[in-house]
Amino acid sequence: MSTVAASSNARRIGRGFAGAFLLAAIWELSVRGFNLPTYVLPSVSSILAGMVADAGKLAAAARFTAAEALTGYLLGCVIGIAAAVGVSMVPRTRSAVMSVATAINSVPVVAYSPLVLLWLGIGMTSKIVMVAVAVSFTVFLSTVAGLDRVDRKSIDLVRSFGAGRMAVLWRLRLPTALPLIIAGMRVSTVRSVIVAIVTEMLGAYGGLGWVIYQAVLQIDFVQVWAAIIVASAISLCFFGVISFIEQRYIFWR
Amino acid sequence: MSLSGLSGASLSAVKAGRFVSILKSLIWIAAFLLVVELIVVALGIRPYYLPRPSAIAAAFLATPQAYLLSMWRTLLETIIGFVAGSLFGVAMGVLFHRWTILRELFFPLFVVSQTIPVIAFGAVVVLWFGNTLFAKAVIAFYISFLPVTVNALLGFATVDPRQVALMRSFGAKEGQILRRLYLPAALPQIFVALKLASSLSLIGAIVGEWFGDTTGLGVLLLQAMYNENVVGIWVTIVASACLGIGLYGAVSEAERRIVFWGAEQ
Amino acid sequence: MLKKRHLLAALAATFVGIQGLGYSATPVAAQQTVNASLRLKWLTQAQFAGFYVALEKGYYKDEGINLTINPGGPNLLTENLVATGADTFGLSGGTDSVFSARDKGLPIVCIGVAHQVTPFVFVTYKDGPVKTVQDFKGKKVTAWFTGANHVLSAMLAKAGIKAGEVDVQPQQVSMTPFIDKQVDVATATRYNELQIVAQRVGMDNLRIFVPEDSGVSFPRDTLIVSEQTAKEKPELVEKFLRASIKGWKYALTNEKEAIDIVMKVAPTLDRAQQAVMLSEIKKLMVAGKGGTDGLFAIDKAAVGSANSLLAEYKVISKPVDLDAAFNDSFLSKIAVAEKRL
Repeated sequence: MSTVAASSNARRIGRGFAGAFLLAAIWELSVRGFNLPTYVLPSVSSILAGMVADAGKLAAAARFTAAEALTGYLLGCVIGIAAAVGVSMVPRTRSAVMSVATAINSVPVVAYSPLVLLWLGIGMTSKIVMVAVAVSFTVFLSTVAGLDRVDRKSIDLVRSFGAGRMAVLWRLRLPTALPLIIAGMRVSTVRSVIVAIVTEMLGAYGGLGWVIYQAVLQIDFVQVWAAIIVASAISLCFFGVISFIEQRYIFWR
Repeated sequence: MSLSGLSGASLSAVKAGRFVSILKSLIWIAAFLLVVELIVVALGIRPYYLPRPSAIAAAFLATPQAYLLSMWRTLLETIIGFVAGSLFGVAMGVLFHRWTILRELFFPLFVVSQTIPVIAFGAVVVLWFGNTLFAKAVIAFYISFLPVTVNALLGFATVDPRQVALMRSFGAKEGQILRRLYLPAALPQIFVALKLASSLSLIGAIVGEWFGDTTGLGVLLLQAMYNENVVGIWVTIVASACLGIGLYGAVSEAERRIVFWGAEQ
Repeated sequence: MLKKRHLLAALAATFVGIQGLGYSATPVAAQQTVNASLRLKWLTQAQFAGFYVALEKGYYKDEGINLTINPGGPNLLTENLVATGADTFGLSGGTDSVFSARDKGLPIVCIGVAHQVTPFVFVTYKDGPVKTVQDFKGKKVTAWFTGANHVLSAMLAKAGIKAGEVDVQPQQVSMTPFIDKQVDVATATRYNELQIVAQRVGMDNLRIFVPEDSGVSFPRDTLIVSEQTAKEKPELVEKFLRASIKGWKYALTNEKEAIDIVMKVAPTLDRAQQAVMLSEIKKLMVAGKGGTDGLFAIDKAAVGSANSLLAEYKVISKPVDLDAAFNDSFLSKIAVAEKRL
């Protein structure tokens, strides 16, 4: 059983790389074939060379951004899940909390960034808060949907055995909701990195967004792309880790 | 006769109930704003940290047409991007579900595509799509489709393979199985994603307007931000919140009508 | 009812606006009219009043140009859009971005310089510890890392201060950290940030350090075209310059009307702020050669000093060929009387 799972995993990873390789090949060939100048689209090979040349700078920036994204992400997940559980425990608050959360989330995070930068400065705190805001809503929404999935009959059944609210939540609601919660968490991994980067572009002491901002101003497109590829790699790793956890969970179930 | 009369009566009762609840929330909002106003005045909070709600309202009323025009423009971009993103998202979900090889080759690239901050590519967007409303809708589309695909796949996975086999044995075609079995099963999940996608496409439209434009909430936001016009930032925040709530409400309403089997259990 | 009509008018205007966007597709009545676009470095504001005035007054039409003005935005590089042909003309960052673009091989040429002197200054509080550039030593200074940081480095070097002796931090969007006295010295453009700060703390409480006083000059707001346009359509470039200068002369002599025109495009702007902006822009544009040779004059000496400054700080790999990067042949075809205010 486990060897089958492992081999199918290996196949999937192999195909994932095959897809990426295909894209890179098309990219490289079209840049060379159409003789595109660097300021339109740099070739994959020149970006890779740029990444090697700037490895130290990029690694430092990547650590900076990853720290912000991860801290904000964890914070956001905790807030999102806690709020959803709270809402489902106290149904009366539901419509109020939902509308406030929707209102806050409807405003693009970028709209808050000037305010958050104003309130918290251009250090790491402002990025962590921005990421947490962005992540918490996504997780909140999926958790609420997941908790709603439990059907009334199962709850009545468990209740009839004398289970309290907490027991229903812990034994029935959360396990049923888990696939959706994790799906929400998986989608927000990517968003957390982007929000950190975009906020960095508006003011920061370091990080990939800062590198991109500087590179655009110095018209160094190879560096822009190099930073973007590093950002993608971080998001992808992050996404992979959560997917792995998700798979393990489903397998266990 | 009597049946239709009954349902009509209950319908109007429902309507009245909703009207009351809307009125209630309006009163709550008014009370909240009043409290904020009082707190700001009482504590003497400086306007560039938090302006008074009345100052924000006054700023809107000074040039209502400019704000309404921008809201309308942003709304159009958002809706085009959202509809395109939702359809594409579901279509990709179907393709990826049907052909595992496609999924394994390209799904990781889809994820990668979402890790690219569009804002870094202003020039590329302008080069490819020009300075049109369409260019902004493309960005709204681009950042909104992935959650739909992810959740559609998740929803399809919940379908019991035995049911599929059963339908096949009755000679059902692929299209019928999709319409009758897969889509109904996945709709509740898809709607969760659609709610997310509605706010994501709004973000896409606003960020898209940063690539050189004259109208739109994104433009107003940037302008206010760099002129340190905090009141202006707040007017724009409120305006985008209104659009976002409207869209979210519309999607939820659609969900209530379409997915009557999934919700409210 | 009235409100409804407003909304309808707004909606109608939007539709018209959307249709207007397909500018290249609409057939032009006059046969000699050429379509062209101007990409600004930022959103519509008084800083670009002259171009909007020229458009509104039909000066571009008179020269046979059907011009579209495209605003800029963050991370939108004017040089890039002009080099790729997405826009015909550009009002780009300044000498710094022109040099960086040339250094990276982007085929663009500067055909005129708007701000004859450095448009930004360094500010501190009069009652604070910083009285001279020497006093920057050991203090916290914020600067935009978009060129202002190099101007600062040059000023410090001329005052005998070594790199590392001053805590230079990247400056964020807002001036609030300076207003809250979290930093000792901040960077401010004369036409925007300086006015914002002055509005909050009063101009009398501020001490200003001008780069030119330290012998550093950094002219900004450059008009650019692609090398291809410069070579193949020199008459278009000349006509565009003539109409733009006419617009700017009108704007700088009829400031109130110019602000009206800008406010019509961007009604949410603060009128008073825009009026001050335009009067400050005027000072920058008529300073030095702008006063003697006329608007958009290219002061090779000032441009050359920026060139060597950027090369010294390794922003560009080597000094750029000035005559290839700055082409004043189009300007010189326009009579000085036409250009001088």
